[in-house]
Amino acid sequence: MTRLWLIIVYLILYAPIAVLVVFSFNRGRIGAVWRGFTWDWYTAALNNQTIIQSLRLSLLVAVLTAVLATLVGTAAALAFYRRRLRLRRAYEAMFYLPIIVPEIVVGFAMVAFFGLIGFRLGLWTVVIAHVAFSVSYVFFVVRARLTMLPPRLAEAAMDLGANEVQAFVRVTLPLLAPAIAAAALLVFTISLDDYVITSFVAGAGAATLPLQVYSMIKTGITPEINAISTILLLTTVVLAAVSFQLRAGRFTKVNGTLVATVLIGIGAFAAGGSNPTVTQAELNLLIWSNYIAPSVVRNFEQRYRVKVNMETYDSNEAMLAKLQAGVARYDIIVPSDYMVRILIKQNLLLPLDHASLLNRVHLDPAMLNRPFDPQNRYSLPYAWTTAGIGYRKDKVTEPIDSWSALWNPAYRDRIVMLDDVREAFAVALKLSGYSLNSTNANELRQARDRLVEQKPLVRAYDSAAFDQVLLSGDAWLSHGYSGQIAKIMLEHPAIAFVIPREGCTIAIDNLCIPRVAQRPDLAHEFINYLMEPAVAAENMNFIVYPIPNRAALPMVRAELRNNPALFPPAEALKNCEYLADVGETMLLYDRYWTEVKIHR
Amino acid sequence: MWSTVLLLGPAVGWLGLFFLAPLGIILLYSFAQRSFYGGVQWNFHVGNYIQLLDPLYFSIYWRSLIIATATTLICLVICYPVAYYIAVQSSKKWKNLLLLLCVVPFWTGFLLRTYAWVFLLRAEGFINSLLMQANLIDRPLTWLLYSDFAVLVGQVYGEIPFMILPLYVSLERLDIRLVEAAMDLGANRWSAFFRVVVPLTKVGIITAIVLVFIPSLGAFITPDLLGGAKSAMVGNVIQNQFVQRNQPLGSALSVLLTIVILVLLIVAFRSGPRSKESAQ
Repeated sequence: MTRLWLIIVYLILYAPIAVLVVFSFNRGRIGAVWRGFTWDWYTAALNNQTIIQSLRLSLLVAVLTAVLATLVGTAAALAFYRRRLRLRRAYEAMFYLPIIVPEIVVGFAMVAFFGLIGFRLGLWTVVIAHVAFSVSYVFFVVRARLTMLPPRLAEAAMDLGANEVQAFVRVTLPLLAPAIAAAALLVFTISLDDYVITSFVAGAGAATLPLQVYSMIKTGITPEINAISTILLLTTVVLAAVSFQLRAGRFTKVNGTLVATVLIGIGAFAAGGSNPTVTQAELNLLIWSNYIAPSVVRNFEQRYRVKVNMETYDSNEAMLAKLQAGVARYDIIVPSDYMVRILIKQNLLLPLDHASLLNRVHLDPAMLNRPFDPQNRYSLPYAWTTAGIGYRKDKVTEPIDSWSALWNPAYRDRIVMLDDVREAFAVALKLSGYSLNSTNANELRQARDRLVEQKPLVRAYDSAAFDQVLLSGDAWLSHGYSGQIAKIMLEHPAIAFVIPREGCTIAIDNLCIPRVAQRPDLAHEFINYLMEPAVAAENMNFIVYPIPNRAALPMVRAELRNNPALFPPAEALKNCEYLADVGETMLLYDRYWTEVKIHR
Repeated sequence: MWSTVLLLGPAVGWLGLFFLAPLGIILLYSFAQRSFYGGVQWNFHVGNYIQLLDPLYFSIYWRSLIIATATTLICLVICYPVAYYIAVQSSKKWKNLLLLLCVVPFWTGFLLRTYAWVFLLRAEGFINSLLMQANLIDRPLTWLLYSDFAVLVGQVYGEIPFMILPLYVSLERLDIRLVEAAMDLGANRWSAFFRVVVPLTKVGIITAIVLVFIPSLGAFITPDLLGGAKSAMVGNVIQNQFVQRNQPLGSALSVLLTIVILVLLIVAFRSGPRSKESAQ
């Protein structure tokens, strides 16, 4: 009986991982149908510079963390060994804390702390945070071993003439080595895997692998992730197996050599990423996820001999939070219209030097001089979008032209809404015939009630991967941004996009330079570069959002240029509105949104 | 004396500066006031804590407690027999292998494990495809993903090793002769289990419960990725306060969560006298 149970549990433990691994060799891009064997996803993953870079960074952080935490933690454990300590209990409690306090609290506290003392977020803040939460693990692992050591051995050595240091180095340390090595490996893997705390304290250019994987899970679910996962799995299993042997006290030459080789290999790989001979200028870019073509960035790096550090966000509010954490010096940000207004009001933006932005002549005048920044003193349009309905023509047979389709019980559990308070309320407000910038409490309450009514039909709220959910067939209708839907139209013929007749949000994302920018000169170069027609066309072919650059348009792929989802007729836009800053009413929006979210 | 300072100094300094100080700062922030576009005004007030008493948040606390409790209980029921088998019924050689095998998935990384379930549970994912091909269902089960079910699956799966290990440690110390004695004296299997085995492994059970319950209470990635952001847990609310630039409220909620956990820990370890050793 128990044995059967054991087998079932182990099957459950391994089934998900096995499936993940098997499908890393699947020819098909989506779905879970086997379409033949391929190595393609491995080639793709290993050629993906962003992934390799973040893997290097993760390894570097993990090695630094392992070394520092092991030194500090082992020393602390030794201090507890056969010594009288005042405040022993207090110190012990302190070592327990990092294990007990939830990660989310630690992350939140760390970023508040770094913000307050004005420490720039970057690689070092990640290492500092990782060491802080892993010292305790080293302390407990090493101390457990110390309490098992026969105390008389060191005494005997001293009786035979060794001094305290000699006794430690020649007797205690060798006995302790397996525990120290095991602790170091434990810390290494914890650091390598940490997402929650890292997501708070990582600054520009410190996107570790878990952060990268998270954004891949959120945005583009391809077997590439399965491939990377499989590689990581193999690495960790080897490390884990060795660590397990070590803790069992088997510190053989083979194990020692294996660990040393792995560590040296990892160190060399991690160090290979940084190029110590050339101290390059760096440009810190804070942009929406998947919103710039990697080739465009690479060409800029080569042409101007600079390094571009990219960090991503998936809401304007998250961008503002990062900017206001005040700890990272971004050179370029890409806020939407209403957020530009807020940033100007907050005096957070640097006026643009139009004399150095000659390529602005190519921009579409219809997208210039908009109310949020009348003379474009602080911003230039980068790309624009509408938030309408993407749907599957093969599953939804009736014509879709109204938001009411998202309230149709026939599509129960097949509807995805953007996980964004303003966008969700925009839909509900428009459906009732109100302005999507309403500040009227009555209208907002009605909108909330509509969203509550809709909730049982909603499959998920998702601002990042709504396109993937549609593409995989999980959802049939999705509230989503035109560009992202247009991108999956290229992959699936049955996908369509419509701007509902009630109207929707229209948004312009803009290139801006924050006041805290360290290289405003380079930032101007970059903005000017992005407006070069050839560059803009290359960029648009990748991101598939309309870029308002008239000179670039002839160079854009025809299926994009002629797609009415991207370039709707003026008629379709007549009921659309830009989101405006609603001031204090935002608190009401937030409250009502929370009420929608907790409704069951 | 000096050597003690040298040995202990770096750890105390590091944790003091980079762990205790940040916790102290959110304690301070929790009594500050939010200024509208982010930022903090330093005038002492308790408004943040009063805001946390809003009935709006109560359903969130309640839900977090329910999910965390359910995760813990399901984990316990699944893992106890496994730990028992490994500790009591398998040979020494198998013991180590079985233990290693239950830890390995834990080394694969947290995000990966979560992603694996997205992959399996999607409407056109592995499980649905399998069931459809076997003609057991004629259309995909949509409640598999983006539901409480999915959140529980993800949470339980992620916590299994943390449940098995402490249970194993205390079960291994169990003197099996006591069980035999109980059965000789007329106890049936169930009463021998509940009246002998369970009390003797109480410490391990409490430790395991604590180790699983605490992270479940603060979880926010799993509800987000597997739950489809359809309902919030405490962790999501804290994360949202960071995004919405309301650091004082986020701090107050963090402080509250930490205090609740510390109290639970004290209660748990009061009821298990020798539990400190096994917690290590």
